[in-house]
Amino acid sequence: MSTGEKKRVINRVKAMYPLRAKVDESYLRSQEAIKAGKPTVWAMLNFCYGDPILKAMDIEVVYPENYGAALAAAGVARGYLDRADAEGFPTHLCGYSRANFGYAARLMELGGEPPPEAPMGGMPKPLFLLSSVAVCDARYKWFQALGRYLDVPVWTLEAPLPGIREFQLEGCYEEMVKLSVSHLRDFVTFVEKAVGRKMDWDRLDEIVNLMMEINRVSHEVNELRKAKPCPMHSRDFWSAMPPALFLLGDLKESLQLYKNLYDEVAERVENGISAIPEEKYRLVFAELPPWHSLDLFDRLAERGWNFVIESFGYHPPPPVDLSHVKDPLERIARYSLQRMVANYRDALQKNVVAGADVYIYLKYVSEWKCDGAFLHPLVSCRSASTHLPHLANILMERLKVPSLIVEGDIVDLRLFNPQDALQRTEPFEEAMEHYRRVRRELGFDW
Amino acid sequence: MAAKGLSRAKEVCSQRPAVAKGATARGKKVIGYPCVYVPLELLAALDIVPYRLYGEMREPVTEADRVLPASFCPIMRSCLDCALKGRHDFLDGVITIHSSDPQEKTARIWQSYTTLPYFHFVDMPGTTRPEAVDYFASQLKGLVTTLESLSGKKLSADNITKAINAYNHQRSLVQSLFQLTRPSPPLLTGTEIVQVIKAVMSLPVDEGNQLLTEVIEEAKARKQKSEAQRARLLLWGSTTDDAEVMAVLESNANVVFLEDCGGYRPYRGKVSTAGDALTALARHYLTEITCARTFIQNVAAPTKKDYHKDLHARYGYLKSVITDWKVDGVVLLLVRYCDPFAFEVPAVKDYFASLGVPATYIEYDYTEGSLAPMRTRVEAFLETIG
Repeated sequence: MSTGEKKRVINRVKAMYPLRAKVDESYLRSQEAIKAGKPTVWAMLNFCYGDPILKAMDIEVVYPENYGAALAAAGVARGYLDRADAEGFPTHLCGYSRANFGYAARLMELGGEPPPEAPMGGMPKPLFLLSSVAVCDARYKWFQALGRYLDVPVWTLEAPLPGIREFQLEGCYEEMVKLSVSHLRDFVTFVEKAVGRKMDWDRLDEIVNLMMEINRVSHEVNELRKAKPCPMHSRDFWSAMPPALFLLGDLKESLQLYKNLYDEVAERVENGISAIPEEKYRLVFAELPPWHSLDLFDRLAERGWNFVIESFGYHPPPPVDLSHVKDPLERIARYSLQRMVANYRDALQKNVVAGADVYIYLKYVSEWKCDGAFLHPLVSCRSASTHLPHLANILMERLKVPSLIVEGDIVDLRLFNPQDALQRTEPFEEAMEHYRRVRRELGFDW
Repeated sequence: MAAKGLSRAKEVCSQRPAVAKGATARGKKVIGYPCVYVPLELLAALDIVPYRLYGEMREPVTEADRVLPASFCPIMRSCLDCALKGRHDFLDGVITIHSSDPQEKTARIWQSYTTLPYFHFVDMPGTTRPEAVDYFASQLKGLVTTLESLSGKKLSADNITKAINAYNHQRSLVQSLFQLTRPSPPLLTGTEIVQVIKAVMSLPVDEGNQLLTEVIEEAKARKQKSEAQRARLLLWGSTTDDAEVMAVLESNANVVFLEDCGGYRPYRGKVSTAGDALTALARHYLTEITCARTFIQNVAAPTKKDYHKDLHARYGYLKSVITDWKVDGVVLLLVRYCDPFAFEVPAVKDYFASLGVPATYIEYDYTEGSLAPMRTRVEAFLETIG
């Protein structure tokens, strides 16, 4: 569903485009890989945990979650969702997974050939599936359920997630590292057997370092967005994030592209260039955007809404020096755990026991000086939605920042009404103005 | 005269908080837990009374609305709603576990909005791999640390062995209880079993074992009725905590096996008493409780996939249930938004189809209003299986 108008208002960062293009390239590369007899794997977003291993083993990877978003953005998800319904999957399941079940059913119906209607040439049949228990149940139950269609093995990556208080118990962090390293070592053996080659440990070492450096630069880009006016909109973040998040393509090239992005954004900061014509309100977006209706953000930009920070799960972990850790698997483990662990310590200090995904938005709002939060609970994604009512409460209670809650879905556009969202903007602007005054009275600095 | 057996189970179910408060009055610590993955042996070994937390199907959710979205596990929403309404304020604390997203997410909200003196969240791995068992054992060690602090007692080898034996005895008794549904007609109804299990999960282990012993004796003494043959159903799902739901399923059939967390599932197998107790508990809870939340496949690190072998690895334990309990049909009963089980629906249906047993999927929203449509769906299913 579109908001009806096509006028582009957001001032897109030019250096974002080659990063975004890497997504399309990755699908093409996977198809070429199949033709050349090279392995392709379907993987869940695994937060830099399994990806460097696959990269070091020269395996092309495509991400059905990402492809689900691509199907939605291309407006062709409906047919695959209907197919999943017909296959007997309950309709309240993750929209990405339902689109993927429909796709997999079609793929196998066509003898393993990608369906002709699939955007970007489709995802080729994989050598194996790499799922992850991180973030939600869907992300491993989904790949298990694909066994109905794909006669390929599944590896499920563990991802420890203790409570914030329990994390402080003696030995907890080291047990998390121990689990992760041992698990990754077995995963390497699994991959070696699957592709019939041994791991090149020096290459893995280099890849891990590049991965961390790419993410460090990406982190620095986001730090620049604290500037007023904000030089880079959330839409540019979402477009530019895949090479860092999924380790797409050549990593040295990606590193240069992120450095280019940093330079352009820094230049904008220096010259006071905004991501939208006139920044009246600074907003944070949580969590997953309506991929099928992204032009909504242009309509909001017309009203002066600048989205300055967003989607915690897509952001790189805070940089950490792991140069003393010689084993690349341990470095992967500690780096991957850093996403949660770094925030756990701060969250406990601030007495936010509801998890890193709540604490981090308090940090975003106070450091990026947001006037409001646009919360997007998803009917078919509990993980990206459950914390949002509590987040709205805590943002108001602690920072006097109001939230606009607009329900929707990541894939199923029938569940999202952008017109309704637009109708609610005016009263929300009044709320943002009101609480701006309240904050000043209370001594906040924005 | 004090109620015994089934009457006692009914009585306990209707006065669960009062029963738990009785333990508090006797100077015992009482700890609530919403999921059967919490190893109760650790509590019993420290003289703490475990108390299973349930939702209240008849209670409209009002308080949880302000902290959880509507599209969320209705059982956990209801459970949290009760907590926010102060229904669990008599507890000394709550233990939650990462058995599913709703359990994990609710735990964090629960902790943020209530002020119980003790709250512990146990992380749980997703697979049954050896390193996962070790990690889970380390998490249990963390739980012991905080429980020792709460109880002021140290966990001794002797006490943990006694507690494991007591709960293993409970598992044997529940396994015996289910033998009573094998005759036709069964000596116990599914509705009675839901009440008995709910009562057992509200009592200290020895009292629960006493109750189970009485119920088994009472049911065995029942005269075999000569009634018209009714369809024999297997119920597969996440959990059933309300006898009324079972009564709907049993209006024209007998539910002879409850493969869910309000029935047989928490009582399968036995914890080993050999070796390190925490590792034994971790291994047992991770591998023996057949909840959809655990990733299971036919070999730990396969190099190729065989769907049928995979189905057998995941559901093979149900094959003997189908034959031994002479099951005519399966009801896959889930509350809406129960993702781990919902992902299983087509696969488990494939498995039952491979055994030649018809199955139907029924989803409900954990409200009283969902019972009438449920009845219609069950009746329609019973007509199709004759």
